[in-house]
Amino acid sequence: MAIITISRGSYSKGREVAEKVAQRLGYQLVSRDVLIEASDRFHIPEVKLVRAIHDAPSILDRITHGKQCYIVYIRSALASRAKADNLVYHGLAGHLLLKGVPHVLKVRIIADLEARVAAEMQREDISAAEARSLLLKDDAERRKWTQTLYGVDPWDASLYDLVIHIHKLSVDDAVEFIVQAAGRQCFQATPASQRKMEDLALACQLKAELVKQDCFELGVTSEYGNVVVYVNKGGRHAYHLDAKLAALRAKLPEINHLEVREGLPFPPAAV
Amino acid sequence: MSLIAISSDSYASGLDIARRTAAALGYGLVDRELLASVAAERGLPQEQLVQALEETPSFFGMRGRRQQELLVHIQAACLEKLREDNQVCYGLGAHLYLVGVSHALRVRVLADPKERLAETAAQRGLPPERAAKLLERQEQERRRWSQQFFQADEGDPAQYDMVLSLGNLEADKAVELIGDAAGYRKFQAMTYSRKCLQDKILAARVLEKLLPQFPDIRVQASDGTVVAQVQSLKRDQRKKQEAVRELASQVPGVNYVEVHVIRDYFGQAAQSGR
Repeated sequence: MAIITISRGSYSKGREVAEKVAQRLGYQLVSRDVLIEASDRFHIPEVKLVRAIHDAPSILDRITHGKQCYIVYIRSALASRAKADNLVYHGLAGHLLLKGVPHVLKVRIIADLEARVAAEMQREDISAAEARSLLLKDDAERRKWTQTLYGVDPWDASLYDLVIHIHKLSVDDAVEFIVQAAGRQCFQATPASQRKMEDLALACQLKAELVKQDCFELGVTSEYGNVVVYVNKGGRHAYHLDAKLAALRAKLPEINHLEVREGLPFPPAAV
Repeated sequence: MSLIAISSDSYASGLDIARRTAAALGYGLVDRELLASVAAERGLPQEQLVQALEETPSFFGMRGRRQQELLVHIQAACLEKLREDNQVCYGLGAHLYLVGVSHALRVRVLADPKERLAETAAQRGLPPERAAKLLERQEQERRRWSQQFFQADEGDPAQYDMVLSLGNLEADKAVELIGDAAGYRKFQAMTYSRKCLQDKILAARVLEKLLPQFPDIRVQASDGTVVAQVQSLKRDQRKKQEAVRELASQVPGVNYVEVHVIRDYFGQAAQSGR
């Protein structure tokens, strides 16, 4: 009864580890499905969501909020999946998208650059130099993506509970470690941590609905279904927020109480 | 039959895990207590050895060259101790110089960030924001230290076989995971990995001997053959080669010494300008 997020670089064998962990524990394996679900729910072409989760936001994106919108949709889809518990998510930034939920085991799988180059060469039938350059470019893009959107470095080990280097340790060893760690008491869902997960899903859903209606630069928190929307000064009127929230409140029965706070700093837990 | 090198962002947390791991597996513990014997055998002040492991060279602190010499003494003594199998090593930077020894499991343990912050704030009597800045600065200095003396970033997870964060994992679980990993076949001592360790020991002992006279020297060893790289002006080349050969040959276990000279162009330019 845990949620496991596996962060990985390309060709780091993270996918293989995730698949085996999900199989061993009988958990649901989620990766691209989140994008498909977000694509269906918010009527956005999947290709745009793939780009949003891969390419770092450009300066234009920062003005138009393009990529941030898609990330909000993806996060909402992932959070609603994670509500059901017993899930293994592999892909970019799962540990950041599900931040604040105590029973999430955050894992990063890394591999030697040389081994990754060899895998890329074999798969794409390209030279070592080309493979290396592609991988380094990909790593730089992922680093920039996380730094731009979350202000952290994905290579920072302190963001994870467990970092496993696939070199001397094999994929099966990594699976064994993850399964063992996931069995610990601290990663089991409790009523309180499950409540937090549901609150996160609710906050993400509300934010996604607001973003869909062109309401940007706002933060949403939820505690036991009591939702607070933080907006910058004057933002409430610019977005015609009260009317939109009234409609959304009717649409989302999980909301117990809804409040808008204007001009206050967004709390760190806000999505 | 393996070696476990533990590194941590918090000395106390890492030591606790190292002690527990050694006790759980019935392994020996090689920690900073070794420094007393290093100091006694080599006639060095023990405080300076601790300082060399902890501080980054600075204008007002210890000079880089002296620190490098002290670290090589520690490295030689530590590697010698690790010749015996089934050891847990902590606090001596072994994770940085055991690279290439396949039966060494290198683990980094990250302390619970909240506890670490609270401890630092309480110890130094600082508000949390200042304690956080202090920790950040200490981490940066630690990275500079490892990069300067071992050309590796201590904070980079790729330097380790596994990184465990104690924020959520309890110490007992971390010890269990380390013990399980150490039991894997890949971390069992083999003839080749023992040879790699033996070569590292010999290289460190030769370096101990040569470093005071040749601060820019680089040494590699393989089966009793030592290859040294030293910088020299063209006119001093032969003299330096002889001196290196003579000193290195005095180290027990050295059968043959090969000296490669790298031309010191900056020194040469400075000489010709005089």
